[in-house]
Amino acid sequence: MSAFGGAFTFIGRDGQVPGAPPLPSLVHLTLGTLEVSAIGIAIAGALAIPLGVWLGHIHRGSFIAINIGNLWRALPSLAVIAIAIAFLGIGLANVELALVVLAVPPIVTNAYVAIDRVERELVDAARGMGMSEWQIVRRVEIPLAVPLIFAGLRTAAVLVVATTTISALTGYSGTLGDIINNETSYHLSGVLGAAICVAGLALAVEAALAGAQRVLTPRAMRLR
Amino acid sequence: MRMRPIAAGLTAVAAAAAAMAFGAQASVAGLPGSGKPPIVIGDKNFAEEYILGALYAQALKAQGYSVTLKNNIGSSEITWKALQSGQIGLYPEYTGTLLSAIAEDTTNPTSASAAYSQASAYASKHGFTLLKATPFYDSDALAALSSYANKHHLTSIPQLKALGKSVILGAAPEFATRFEGLLGLKKDYGINPTFKPIAIGVSYEALDSGKVDVQDVFTTDGQLAAKGKYVILKDPDHVFGFQNVAPVVKTSLISKEGPAFAATLNKVDALLTRQAMQQMNKAVSLDQISPATVAAAFLKANHLG
Amino acid sequence: MILATGKAVVIPNFGGSAYSCERHNPLFCVDWVSRNWDTVLWPALRQHIVLTVIAVAIGFAISTALALAAYRVGWVERPVVVVTLVLYTIPSIALFELLVGIPWLGLSTATAEVALVSYTLLILFRNILTGLREVPEEVRDAARGMGMSARQMLWRVELPLALPAIIAGLRIATVTVISLATIAPLISVESLGTPIFAAISNNLFKTELIAAGGMAVLLAVAADGAFVLVQRRLAPWARVRVR
Repeated sequence: MSAFGGAFTFIGRDGQVPGAPPLPSLVHLTLGTLEVSAIGIAIAGALAIPLGVWLGHIHRGSFIAINIGNLWRALPSLAVIAIAIAFLGIGLANVELALVVLAVPPIVTNAYVAIDRVERELVDAARGMGMSEWQIVRRVEIPLAVPLIFAGLRTAAVLVVATTTISALTGYSGTLGDIINNETSYHLSGVLGAAICVAGLALAVEAALAGAQRVLTPRAMRLR
Repeated sequence: MRMRPIAAGLTAVAAAAAAMAFGAQASVAGLPGSGKPPIVIGDKNFAEEYILGALYAQALKAQGYSVTLKNNIGSSEITWKALQSGQIGLYPEYTGTLLSAIAEDTTNPTSASAAYSQASAYASKHGFTLLKATPFYDSDALAALSSYANKHHLTSIPQLKALGKSVILGAAPEFATRFEGLLGLKKDYGINPTFKPIAIGVSYEALDSGKVDVQDVFTTDGQLAAKGKYVILKDPDHVFGFQNVAPVVKTSLISKEGPAFAATLNKVDALLTRQAMQQMNKAVSLDQISPATVAAAFLKANHLG
Repeated sequence: MILATGKAVVIPNFGGSAYSCERHNPLFCVDWVSRNWDTVLWPALRQHIVLTVIAVAIGFAISTALALAAYRVGWVERPVVVVTLVLYTIPSIALFELLVGIPWLGLSTATAEVALVSYTLLILFRNILTGLREVPEEVRDAARGMGMSARQMLWRVELPLALPAIIAGLRIATVTVISLATIAPLISVESLGTPIFAAISNNLFKTELIAAGGMAVLLAVAADGAFVLVQRRLAPWARVRVR
């Protein structure tokens, strides 16, 4: 189990390998991973939350929201990146495309379910008070749906962070995938060290979104 | 799900070549390799290695040997590990790479034959034998687009020093930690480029798109045949070393397999000139013909198939 | 010793002129696909399916045994979840490389299977156990009242009622394995990733990227759809409900 000890030594050295020339620092690559992930989650959220909320509000399209979601999730990331390379060439764009494909389904599904199950009486009461549809969505449905919408975002975020490492296989560099996919230079201890950083980053992103969720959840709903 | 009829005509060439390659396997009786222990050949993770692996495998099969080819194992270090652990019996290795990446020998050999004998000595010490090396060598080289080279008046690597960190050098990630890579270039020529890891196989894409200014390529790449498009920077101190290919074989395997084994591999290697290798690389990497088909055609043309 | 340059080397015409489409590398060369279906694409697809079926079958057997144990003995659940969760969160490339270091695994199909199986365990274990636990107590009471033994109850009542959850788990596990099997070539095991990596290293050959990538996508979609059909047939009372 010396590789595990080595992994922490590697993290302690900020990703440097003794005897090798200076390598990109672990902090730098972790931030790179975070950047690539954040862009992917942001795009996926911007597309998927409005779609899920809209479908949930009109109580239609459960087939789309749930089954298309499952279908999308079925797509192998490496295959998506491969196809994207053919159209977009090597670079950030095709990596983000694959991450968005991965992240959209859980977000849509959760947003749909969250809005769809808001009690009809509440919505009808709001309508009776003369609220517009947009006001109903914004002031009644979304606040009640925050916990589930965030559950979708959190699931997607963990998937996305873990998948950024695959980007290195296709020639995109600047993420922790550079280390994980380069056992030659970094040895097993480095690969494990980077894997630990990926897991840590995934947990940190999860925790950050959980914090945001707490802030955004209406006070009345915080006490369960 | 089998092939549609229209495909039949198009596959004629490939099928004929494949028949040459695998047909020989059927008539094993009486051949020197029949009844000998099976051989597992490995190769590393790029096109030239696939071709070399296919050449060795098919030539040995034609002699009646039972051969398995394990493609695309990985970098030198990983492939060497596979050899040490007995998962493969031999693989094609470059003499200079064996010295720097495996033996971690940073003394700069002064000639191709010095590199070969140093590598051979290291292999013997670890229970392996280096069979004879190919006439062609495929060393790393730094290439730039002609336009970039002209703009900065570049003809050789030491001139990169003046450009400092502004020059972006692309290469496979492991280049950064190799003596016959960034480590040696920095030490010998005092250059200090910005390193950008680029996957093997997208080198020319990186150069063409301007993602990198200077790219680590290989001297036998098919793409370099395009006249005037790229400039190869001279390496006056031979930092990139001498890179002839020789099969690294588990020593105990050689006697078990009988004299025809080493003789066959040596015959194949003697045919591998730089021009031959460039054409085969071009056929595989640019024309997308499979390494097995290319190897079969080459062996057949030279009466080894 | 380095061999002298062979004077008598014959370099055959590899037929490059017949492959002008390949050389220009447009989005798709139909001819390349028909020429290489039998030698490149079909073997890769077949291996991919074999890898997937074996991994899901072994993963299902292990998970079922563990879930049944946890169903009967409460304390089994927690350690199983912890171990399978840890396996599930290791980045896949790292897990493959980690396993190659184990001497008796090395660069073999077995290594790939160990990695793939380990990713199925969490999903399958959770779904099977949840399915079993969601069997209503009244149904169990009724079965007991009819004099069924524990074994009879398991086979005739509990497992059939847990079927929708089990199939839902198999569906996610299968699709996950199909996705992960694309990186098996990293340890020299063939799958649809083999042509993908070959295309990446051969000048980004678009036809092969699209053909092999598309096959992997279609395989995943087909497997997903097949499980939906299986579920409709075996458990028609349950609506397809996967979260």
